[in-house]
Amino acid sequence: MRRFDYLRPKSLKEALQLKKTIAGAKYISGGTDLIVQIKNRELQPTTLISLRSIPELARIEINGGARIGALATISDLIQHIELGHNYPVLIAAAKRLGSLQIRNVATTGGNLCNCSPSADMALPLLVLEAKVRLQSAKASREIPLSEFFKGPGKSCLSSDEIMTDILLEPPSQKTKATFLKKGRVKMDLAIASLALLVEIEGGRCRKARIAAGSVASMPLRLFDVEALLEGSTISKDSVSKAQQLARDTVSPITDLRATEEYRRHVVGVYMKRGLEKVFG
Amino acid sequence: MKAEISFILNGSEVNVTIDGHLRLIDILRNTMSLTGTKEGCGEGECGACTVIVDGRAVNSCLYPAHEIEGKSVTTIEGLRMPEHKLSEIQQAFVDNGAIQCGFCTPGMIMSAKALLDSNPNPSDEEIRDALQGNLCRCTGYVQIVEAVKSVAGQIMGKK
Repeated sequence: MRRFDYLRPKSLKEALQLKKTIAGAKYISGGTDLIVQIKNRELQPTTLISLRSIPELARIEINGGARIGALATISDLIQHIELGHNYPVLIAAAKRLGSLQIRNVATTGGNLCNCSPSADMALPLLVLEAKVRLQSAKASREIPLSEFFKGPGKSCLSSDEIMTDILLEPPSQKTKATFLKKGRVKMDLAIASLALLVEIEGGRCRKARIAAGSVASMPLRLFDVEALLEGSTISKDSVSKAQQLARDTVSPITDLRATEEYRRHVVGVYMKRGLEKVFG
Repeated sequence: MKAEISFILNGSEVNVTIDGHLRLIDILRNTMSLTGTKEGCGEGECGACTVIVDGRAVNSCLYPAHEIEGKSVTTIEGLRMPEHKLSEIQQAFVDNGAIQCGFCTPGMIMSAKALLDSNPNPSDEEIRDALQGNLCRCTGYVQIVEAVKSVAGQIMGKK
């Protein structure tokens, strides 16, 4: 591997300061994607600034809603009983991310900031309408996760910012959610995945939030399908319309893991399966 | 830029001076000469490099060496018993025919150990989930799962 320096600041302030003074530096959290990218020479940083020694970044707080430090590992999430109780769909996705060795090190914020179209954590967080907090030396801003992704490997995180927190609204008793993922084996990157959150009242869908993975250049909210479902009664006909629209909305590619056609098909099937699951 | 780090390796404190770009597996194999830990894919897919850091199984090929400062690392060499005897889990792999070429074995055993340390009586599903990140290309996984189960049974029997 190409040589680089490795720094471990103890505070957020120090981490932000270091980045400004060192040319070619990059932040590292869990590193399970980053180290591979460096090995493959997709990235050639002069210095890695580790965020793993900043305790407040790894904290998980339940405060009505939840504040998940961006450096909380996927295993930290799975082991957090209250988080799992309040947001089961988040934990369902966490359990499907990589192998145990990866989950023990990979971080929630890292999964988002890597901006893979297949990012497992993005889907439940999109349907839960999570916000992310981005901090620079000068300012802090909160943006909806749905506005964070800009393309494969691209987000609106600027080079002088650190994602510090993922923020969740208090859980609603009225909603039901599910996460579905297709991989060749359980620990694979998703061939296609779908998260679905709905609120039902008297057989009518009052609210729908849908997100799909590995079927576009970024984890995608399916706003059109949500609009179609909201206000409608759930019937064979409305489910079939939602399936068709979901298939038409996504824009997958063919690669070594699956074809475009297959990915579209899976999204349609998952749309139906997801609705059946939440409507019991 | 070199830095000195100290950590617990298989129960003993060690100090090493290392470069920034090194990974935990580089330190284990090249600096400490502990070659039981294997590098297979180098990308976190195969699990041959699995070691235990502070109780959790991790891929040492993706673990920046600097992050090991102040932590406790257990490698396959740390399972050695007095008089060159094998540990219970190692013996179970031998007894159950869970080894062919042996390249995946140290990683497989470290994943199994991390599981059994935190969950002495795992279900089949829990065993398979804990070993999902360890690939064996010689054979299937039935004997390996059997080996882990036999140790879980023994531990249960002792209670």
